[in-house]
Amino acid sequence: MIELLKKEFRLFAHPTCWMFLAFGAMLLIPGYPMYIPFFWVTLGLFYSCLGARENNDLYYTLLLPVRKRDTVRARGLFFACMELLQIAACIPFALLRYALKLGPNNAGMDVNLALFGLCLVLMGLFNLLFLPRVYKNPTSVGKPFLFVSIWVFLYIVAAEVCCHALPFFREVLDTPDPQHLGVKLAVLALGALLFALLTLLGTRRAEAIFEKVDL
Amino acid sequence: MADRVLELRGLSKDYPAFHLRGVSFSLRRGRIMGFIGRNGAGKTTTLKSMLNIVHPSAGEVRFFGLDFAEHELEIKRRIAFVSGGANYYPNKKLAAITAVTRGFYDNWDEESYQKFLRLFALDETKTPRQLSAGMQVKYALALALSHGAELLILDEPTSGLDPVSRDELVEVFLTLAEEGVSILFSTHITEDLDKCADDVSYIRAGELVFSMPLAALREKYRAVALTAEQAERFRDGLIGCKRAKEGYTALVERGTLEELGGHVAGLEEIMVHLDREAREDD
Repeated sequence: MIELLKKEFRLFAHPTCWMFLAFGAMLLIPGYPMYIPFFWVTLGLFYSCLGARENNDLYYTLLLPVRKRDTVRARGLFFACMELLQIAACIPFALLRYALKLGPNNAGMDVNLALFGLCLVLMGLFNLLFLPRVYKNPTSVGKPFLFVSIWVFLYIVAAEVCCHALPFFREVLDTPDPQHLGVKLAVLALGALLFALLTLLGTRRAEAIFEKVDL
Repeated sequence: MADRVLELRGLSKDYPAFHLRGVSFSLRRGRIMGFIGRNGAGKTTTLKSMLNIVHPSAGEVRFFGLDFAEHELEIKRRIAFVSGGANYYPNKKLAAITAVTRGFYDNWDEESYQKFLRLFALDETKTPRQLSAGMQVKYALALALSHGAELLILDEPTSGLDPVSRDELVEVFLTLAEEGVSILFSTHITEDLDKCADDVSYIRAGELVFSMPLAALREKYRAVALTAEQAERFRDGLIGCKRAKEGYTALVERGTLEELGGHVAGLEEIMVHLDREAREDD
């Protein structure tokens, strides 16, 4: 599994995966939907899958001494690693935003611990929906991404609407840290749990689907 | 039995428009087997089914006496499948692909790898895209041989190569076979097999027509050239009689129609005439 993961980083990862980490700087933009900086990682993963298709990655990988299901597991793990790296890359910019006293975000959710939790759910949702679809037909990458992007977009819209419409979001979650720190930490922990669960479910489903695919 | 490195029994695969029907053959250690058939006959489907890249509908595949499904990892460490050339990650440097690949093999022999790089004049700073088709095959072979593959499964390795490159590869295959490596070599360029194969398996429309030593096959048929009048007169004893530039050509079984003369049939002649005969029977 370690070797497969190394292969994902050294051959599969598209350069945009690394470039988009820098887009965490978008957390410094005043009045901006703050889910977007976290969304970029999914685009990098999409480009990697496109590249893998063009580079005959599946043939190369499946002829190595590995099991088919392990190749999917490594891919799921790679997705999770890149997403967690995106989270990590956003942290310094979130801290900088506080240091620069840029103030509350009028366009939607504030940059705070709850936002990180909600973005982890967004990434988990992406993994749950994208991985099985991309392994169902490995020659089709665009359609699964379009389908998943719609759901991710709806999630972002719903989350932002909640910030305006629901008192719990408006008065507790959409506030600068360290206000309501306990609740936000709970949202972060719940987000991390859901991220792990959704990624695991997406990977398992993709494994089951891919086992039946003829290449 | 003990020296059988590969054994297929009743391998079948059903697609809506194509059926691989009960393919059975075996390959012994240190032998080169040519797997021939026209385009679309089922060669690649057979090879992919052997390695579970496509799922066989029925049949059994054993490598080194081990069932593939139960010993997939061990078997994959001992074999190498080369489809065409190194047609993966065309823009990555060979050094980068090798660095990843070697990690998967405990028995990777770096000295051997360096030896093959020199032997095949491969430059690791190049990418597969910068290599000719022949050099791509050589790179794929260098990777395969550096983890001590005992069985090479090659899918059309010489297609698209010039005659000199093909000849060089044939020489490499002969050397490897001498060292005990077994080679299953799918191709429709039968000329290469005439130079190196010990055994030949011929597949047509998803069915294995024969699998036998090349020498025995050559014993079996003569190729004859005929006039139109002879073609008509001896029609019943001719196999796959067809038009040629001058008159007709056909196969005859050894010991029959000796008066027609002829010569030892080459693989291409055998394949072409048997295919013609089968199409006429269909």
